[in-house]
Amino acid sequence: MIYELCRFLVPYSVSLSFFRLVNYITFRAIMSALTAVIFIFIFSRPFILFVHRHCLLDQVRETGVASVFDKKGTPTMGGVLIIGAVLISMVIWGDWRNPFLLCAMAGMIWFGLLGLWDDLSKVRQKSGDKGLSERAKLLLQGFFSLLFAWVCVGHFAPLGSALATKVYVPFYKFPLGDIGPLLYGSFIFLFVVFVSNAVNITDGLDGLAITPSIFVVAVLGVFAYVEGNRIYSAYLHFAFLRGAGELMIFGAAFVGAGLGFLWYNAYPAQIFMGDTGSLAIGGTMAVMCVLLKQEFLFPLLGGLFIAEALSSQIQDKIGVKWIGRRIFFRAPLHHNLQHKGIAETKVVIRLWIVSGILALISLATLKLR
Amino acid sequence: MLLLTLLIVLLLVCATVLAVAWRWKRPDAAQPRVVLSGGGTGGHVNPALAIAEGLKAREPQTRFLYIGVKNKAESVIVNKAGYELRYVCSEGYPGINLSLGTVRFVLKLSLGIAQSIIILTRFAPKWIVATGGYVSAPVIMAAVLLKKLKIARVEVFLHEQNSIPGQLNTLMGKWVDKVLLTFPQTLTFFPNAAVVGYPIRHSIVPLHPEEARERLSFPIPEGRQIVFAFGGSQGARTINRAIVDALPFLLPHRDRLFIIHGSGLACSSGYNAADDTEGRIAKLLTPEQRGELGDFYYRQDYFHNIAEIYSISSLIVCRSGAGSLNEISRIGKPVLLVPKANLPGDHQVMNARAMRNAGAAQILFEDTVMENGGLLEHLDGQVLAEKILALLEDRPRMQEMAEKSRGFLKREAIERIVSEIYDDQRFTDGNGRVVPFRELLGNGRLLQMLSEAYAHLGTSFDPASVVEDLDDLAYYRHRAAGLLSHKSWQDRNLGVKLIGFTRYREKIPTLLQMLADRTPAGVLRRICGGDFEQVGFIRRNIVNALIVMDCYTPEVRKHLPVAMEDPYFEVRARACRAVAHFGDFFAGKDEWVDRLMERLGDGCFEVEIEAAKALGEIGTDWKAAKALLSMNESRYWQARNAALLGIKRMMERGVLDPSNELIAAVSSFILTSTDFRPHFQIKETYGALRKCSESLQGVSLRRQTAVGSNQVARKLK
Repeated sequence: MIYELCRFLVPYSVSLSFFRLVNYITFRAIMSALTAVIFIFIFSRPFILFVHRHCLLDQVRETGVASVFDKKGTPTMGGVLIIGAVLISMVIWGDWRNPFLLCAMAGMIWFGLLGLWDDLSKVRQKSGDKGLSERAKLLLQGFFSLLFAWVCVGHFAPLGSALATKVYVPFYKFPLGDIGPLLYGSFIFLFVVFVSNAVNITDGLDGLAITPSIFVVAVLGVFAYVEGNRIYSAYLHFAFLRGAGELMIFGAAFVGAGLGFLWYNAYPAQIFMGDTGSLAIGGTMAVMCVLLKQEFLFPLLGGLFIAEALSSQIQDKIGVKWIGRRIFFRAPLHHNLQHKGIAETKVVIRLWIVSGILALISLATLKLR
Repeated sequence: MLLLTLLIVLLLVCATVLAVAWRWKRPDAAQPRVVLSGGGTGGHVNPALAIAEGLKAREPQTRFLYIGVKNKAESVIVNKAGYELRYVCSEGYPGINLSLGTVRFVLKLSLGIAQSIIILTRFAPKWIVATGGYVSAPVIMAAVLLKKLKIARVEVFLHEQNSIPGQLNTLMGKWVDKVLLTFPQTLTFFPNAAVVGYPIRHSIVPLHPEEARERLSFPIPEGRQIVFAFGGSQGARTINRAIVDALPFLLPHRDRLFIIHGSGLACSSGYNAADDTEGRIAKLLTPEQRGELGDFYYRQDYFHNIAEIYSISSLIVCRSGAGSLNEISRIGKPVLLVPKANLPGDHQVMNARAMRNAGAAQILFEDTVMENGGLLEHLDGQVLAEKILALLEDRPRMQEMAEKSRGFLKREAIERIVSEIYDDQRFTDGNGRVVPFRELLGNGRLLQMLSEAYAHLGTSFDPASVVEDLDDLAYYRHRAAGLLSHKSWQDRNLGVKLIGFTRYREKIPTLLQMLADRTPAGVLRRICGGDFEQVGFIRRNIVNALIVMDCYTPEVRKHLPVAMEDPYFEVRARACRAVAHFGDFFAGKDEWVDRLMERLGDGCFEVEIEAAKALGEIGTDWKAAKALLSMNESRYWQARNAALLGIKRMMERGVLDPSNELIAAVSSFILTSTDFRPHFQIKETYGALRKCSESLQGVSLRRQTAVGSNQVARKLK
């Protein structure tokens, strides 16, 4: 909005040429991050009160970890705040004609709505288990992923059809090969579904999901900046993606919103992001990775999320349901650590450190190619 | 060309449909035509024949056609009764899943429906009376189909004999014109139903014992009490085998007893009633005992004039199918029931319970055992013999049971059914009234209730007080034991848990055997971390069940070391807890202290914690204390904590002196912890406020009655 306005004003007068600043992506990125933080600071208290008054409180599942019980009744659905902050920030600072931005926003909002539905039905049924059924959730996630995969490999590919179905891996500057739209499309489908659920599983302790997501999105923002910049991409041997820079602004808004959210979500939390937040974040990260051709960086960059998801799945599907024993003491990962006698705050901070290290290593792949 | 052919075919079909529909109108005026269907067992066939008798009494020229399945009870009984009989294909409902059984079921059912359509269009009946079972499914479906296509004008009635309908009957009940019920509580399952009772054939009437005895085809010596054991028309393997097993125990009383055994018509490849029974007799009894059988025991496959046998019997031993129970009630005899378990809705158990509550029956539950690698129901012959003898001794009791038995039957069922079919309201009083009844609990719900009670009550827990009925508890135990030999480990696991919580101590040897069972799991499972056929959870829950059952035997002692060496950590941890639980038996025994000390260095902290706690319960000397003290630098704070707890426990038990040396050693423990319990001041204050208000409310309520409620209300304002 403001972006358009400024661009419109600049040619008219020398005194307004100050507004040409908006042509700089870095400036818009910083502004959008600030906007998101300020939005959250202004609106979180009214939002928390609203949620509290309408009794949209967290319905805790009995996981057998003592400190969880103390959290019953914490307002949930904080994801609405995150999505709202990013949305407002992008309305002000974003270029809505940019296909990258549209894809990322669509992913965030779709998954956010899905999570919202889940949260609301959990609250309505007064139980942590009776949300949206697993199958319905997967179906709706799958629907978006399918659509997204189709967009990515089809005629409207934001990447351009030459690049659309090529596979890039970290530490190697050339594409590994072109695997064709069908294979690549189904890969995108699985990837998006997996990542969004991984964040959902990670979101179990105060501040555990949001900080690693900030790291991941920040790193992806840097990649977006580099890949969207003709000079830097040439220098670092990336394929140049025209318009990908817009994703950096989106990422910055997300980082701002995340920091603002952490303000309230840090232990002991005043609000949870709920499925609204975790699914939206997962959807966002997945879409960004695909758009920036960094799908294979994600296992490293978001290693924490992968570990959480895998530990949970291995424990449940292989251990408890099939071979009839626990493989880990508890699952997912963070509950295992808690079970071993590490306090929640310590677990969260340790996992932040791990994800920070992973983010740094991932950043190093910019140059190590 | 193609179009023309299609047109001709279409015309032909239309013509056929019209012709059939026209033909269907015709029999309205003339003799009524009725299709009877249902079968598989005599319990389904006999009511159908009874209804036919009722209809025939009303209009003697009525024509009947019986549709059944080949080689089932109907092929014998219906032919004998002299009705026209046709066969269709059908099969028992296996439940909808992706298996070969389902595919075969669907195919057979479709074929059966096609056959039924042909039979029905040729016979053009006015009414269809189905008595349930899978046999009548294709007939009902075909009739409903023809009705929906406006071809047939036929009314379909379904008679449900059991208190809880099977899945197929529940489904059919939604489509037929009216469901006729035996038990009022079944009304909850069908929207369109009337309670009519159980139709019993006219031939089943009480006879004078002398008269009945004269009509018998075999002689019975004078002055004997007669026991009639049978398992329904098909026969029941459990009852057949149990009665043969009981013979050696009954033989000494042969001067006052006579056994009549109806072994049933079953002759499938899996079980041939007659051969199996003869074989068992030959195997179990010595030649001289067999010689004595002649004037003591008589066996026949099926009794067409069962009323005679009922009339001369003093006691009847049978399954609790609705048919048998109602027939026996008509005659008025005391009965010993062996309900078949795990049927849809446990209806045999429900029936048996209803009759027992009426005071007319006693119940024996079968047990489940493994035989030749297969799962078998089994009733111990000696138990049966003792029960029979005890009952026969107690004549006043038998007299009372016989009277109560006579009152159990709902009379005039046939008249009610005929009035429903003719729809002339001659009998309307069977309708309405839903009787609530206490259902038997499902396994999951049962487990939940019991485990909650156990968590709440601890060692003073008693399953009988949770279940509230000893017979129900016996049945639940039986059902749990049955789960133990299932193929899927999830079922076995559930069985283990239920056996523990129902305190079925007789099954401890089986559990211990499973605990020590080292049959390896499949290769794929082993690759993924599995170990044995009796998976980790089962072994863990077995040890847990031992704790819950609170029963210490030499066998338990023999098997605990096995559990303590188990490859799965939860089993080892639970075994250590069991040692602590039975601590009184182990205290001071060196070998057990050594075993626990070995577990202190287990490597898995959960085991170490439990071992340290257990050591506190059974350790008596410095050796144990030293082992605990050596955990002072353990990596996990819970392990250090458990060690301290163990030392404290030893001091409490008075086996460890609180010397300076000990205090110095204890102070070497690392006390930093990576964990803490947060406490939230405001939540605590809130909780205190709630508690305060509750206690004050009690006071104010008392005051309210004293001062008057108006005043309190004013004060609150």
